Amino acid sequence: METIGIWIAALLTLGIFSFLYKDNPFYKFCESLFVGISAGYWFVTTFWQVFMPKLADNLIAGRFYYMIGAIFGVLMLLRLFPKIGWLSRWSLALVVGTTAGLYFTRYLVSNGMVQVQNTIIPLYVKGNLSQTIGNLVIVIGTFSGLIYFFFSKEHKGAFGGLAKLGIWFLMLSFGASFGYTVMSRMSLLIGRMDYLLGTWLGLIR
Amino acid sequence: MNFLEKLLALDRRIIFLFIAIAVALPLFFTVKLHIEVTPVVRNLHNALEALPPGSKVLVSLDYDPGSMPELQPMAESFFRYCFMRDLKIIIIGLWPNGPIQANSALEVILNEPDIKKKNPKYGMDYVNLGYTAGNEVVIERMGSDIPVTFPKDYSGNKTEDIPLMKGVKNFNNIDFVYNLSAGYPGTVEWVLFGVDPYKIKLGAGNTAVQAPQIYPYLNSGQLVGLLGGMKGGAEFEIATGHPAKAVKFMFSQSVSHALICFFILIGNFAYFATRKKKGA
Amino acid sequence: MKKTKAVLFSILIILFFFNLSFPQENLSPLPPTEVRASDTPNDNGHSITVTWKLSGDDGADKKNVVAYEILRSDSPTGEFIVRGMVPAGNNTYQDRGAKEKEDKNYFHPHKDFYYKVRAKTLNSYSESEVAGPAQAYGEWFHLGKLPVFVGTVTFTIMVLAFISLARKGKEFYVRPLAGIDAVDDAIGRATEMGRPILYILGLGSAADIATIASFTILNRIAKKTAEHKTKIIVPCNDPIVMSVAQETVKAGYLDAGRPDMYKEENIFYLTSMQFAYVAAVNGIMLREQTATNFYLGKFYAESLILAETGSVAGSIQISGTDEIAQIPFFVAATDFTLIGEELYAASAYLGREPLLLGALKAQDLAKAIVMISLALGALAASFHLGFFLKLFTVQM
Repeated sequence: METIGIWIAALLTLGIFSFLYKDNPFYKFCESLFVGISAGYWFVTTFWQVFMPKLADNLIAGRFYYMIGAIFGVLMLLRLFPKIGWLSRWSLALVVGTTAGLYFTRYLVSNGMVQVQNTIIPLYVKGNLSQTIGNLVIVIGTFSGLIYFFFSKEHKGAFGGLAKLGIWFLMLSFGASFGYTVMSRMSLLIGRMDYLLGTWLGLIR
Repeated sequence: MNFLEKLLALDRRIIFLFIAIAVALPLFFTVKLHIEVTPVVRNLHNALEALPPGSKVLVSLDYDPGSMPELQPMAESFFRYCFMRDLKIIIIGLWPNGPIQANSALEVILNEPDIKKKNPKYGMDYVNLGYTAGNEVVIERMGSDIPVTFPKDYSGNKTEDIPLMKGVKNFNNIDFVYNLSAGYPGTVEWVLFGVDPYKIKLGAGNTAVQAPQIYPYLNSGQLVGLLGGMKGGAEFEIATGHPAKAVKFMFSQSVSHALICFFILIGNFAYFATRKKKGA
Repeated sequence: MKKTKAVLFSILIILFFFNLSFPQENLSPLPPTEVRASDTPNDNGHSITVTWKLSGDDGADKKNVVAYEILRSDSPTGEFIVRGMVPAGNNTYQDRGAKEKEDKNYFHPHKDFYYKVRAKTLNSYSESEVAGPAQAYGEWFHLGKLPVFVGTVTFTIMVLAFISLARKGKEFYVRPLAGIDAVDDAIGRATEMGRPILYILGLGSAADIATIASFTILNRIAKKTAEHKTKIIVPCNDPIVMSVAQETVKAGYLDAGRPDMYKEENIFYLTSMQFAYVAAVNGIMLREQTATNFYLGKFYAESLILAETGSVAGSIQISGTDEIAQIPFFVAATDFTLIGEELYAASAYLGREPLLLGALKAQDLAKAIVMISLALGALAASFHLGFFLKLFTVQM
């Protein structure tokens, strides 16, 4: 049984890889299979992991206030009926509103205040050249980056120069980011190769 | 069309072929590479070493099979480390697939001879509380009540009846949180909704794609340490003195990186050389 | 027997010669002093904080104190029970308990408690005098979070003020963005070629700011495509996003006066699984031969795969996301990229809606404040003026 599973997985991997050569029916088959199965899997997961434990179990246990959430959920489904479809906006408003509220203070603290607090550092550290340079890079980089994302003034003159410095800092960080992602992609490929050559063909241990 | 122009117009399928060879061929060789443990990984390892045996570690696996090559070795090496150090593991997932990934990592680790000798018991030494929907709200709720957020474990046992969960009410009773993350919800949410409001100690393993985004949280101390991609995983294996999968794959990773660097260099050389000619 | 006696005798002799005595009188360390117990500030009322002055025997060269134990009792003369322990060198302990009455560890608020601190060595200990009484009580406001409150209120006022100004018709300047100027050309090109436009909203939920910004841009682009009679395809990753996208495109067609041309089947849901979604979108790109691809919203690992496929297919591509990790790929593989906040700015620039413009202006003001704080802060830190940092310190 396990062998059949390994063969199916390996052939499907090759099917998706075949896209690297060019679009072909084998790839299309694998793609459709993937989309179909994942949509089905998602449905089953949502039913058993969300609908049953979060709603049905609570209602059965007599916690009827869960009906409030259920009603909003049903409102969402009313999109299927164009005449009363507008009711679904209430549910959307609830989702958007609560998420915004939940995130606002969290972002302000974790990504705003704590980060600003950690950028307020001395520009000169006595007797420590490398830390002085490090601190300068952090402060100037943050400052010029903020200038680049300032939309109320055109990038001209000294302001434009700082914005340009900001984009340089951004591009440098993008480069680092790019490197990391190449690493990620290679890792994924290594994982698949290991599967094909090791688990499937048994060529490597 | 001269050679350089031909190089620029190179069919990308040839590059794909080269990459495939660069990745596949090294898998056949066992080469011992010198892998240096970087400070961000060292810090995570030190923080874990400071935990006394019996400490409760919450592991949140927030990824799916798509990120397995990077994060699965991290899960395995972490579980191995916890069992060897007698740390108690509480597994959860903010992604539906997370707890399934945990089970397959546990299956590998529990069959290793060293761990078999220790004979860790489900419910006493480790527990899998499964997945619950709600993303970051799950973290928020765990801050006030873990058993209410996860009333049952993965197999349907009542959380309050599990010996390991006795006395675990909220984050106050958790000594360390380890998060393996491939996107949303993940490490960012754990920092925003766990670290800052509840002062949890958080270490993380991330896909390399995500890692640069997480670095600001390291500098500010919101995160104890970070394993970035397969390389981070390999460093952690070295730090814990048990080289495994991630270390094994590092040779392939290095060869493919060298090839990519080579392509970038000759690509840029050809680009600038041909441009100069056209300009002239 | 004789042998044992001889050994004991020789040990005594050795001790005598080395001038060692049995350290009986020095066995217990000096006790901790100045013990104080008081309600823990800024909490829900189930904790008392105990502080003390370290024992005279707690220090690097003395080393005989290894830990402090904190003991509690209902009365100064009653039985004291150990509540917790901290390693040597620490002089505070938060005695915390549960807030649920049925919990074994319930901490009674508004009740007198007495505390003692015990300095422990490896084989002995000494106790402080009794401190107290102290009561735990909850506070209405967490004063440590004051900076967050001030920040939230100030920013909200700024946003509301700018929105109201924009509503009153005040013209706000937004600097030009390269990516946006290219939108019209891109749509024109699709029309000339007679091929469709692909619009990807990313993997974000309808509540993500990037997705919301993308909806505004989608609305403008839908309007333009309706005017040009060009087909627009919007495959979605999230059912809620799909619903909003349908509304948005429909509104765009209405604005253009061509509601009859709106086709709901072109804005559809594919799957919520990341890579399955990518596989399907890649297929659409190659089969439909889309002339222009827009990737605006929240993107993760799929960004490069999508942009790369589009580039191979020869489409003009305009991208934008606030996911920092994905911007490099968009910069490398697409023709124009809106970097991070430029996406929000583009949405405000195109939409000219008071709501978006006001928010953008408020953000600019907030950024100016941060920049000034940074500059002043860095100077203050360089001259060791610590007070400035305190403005940003948040207690949880």
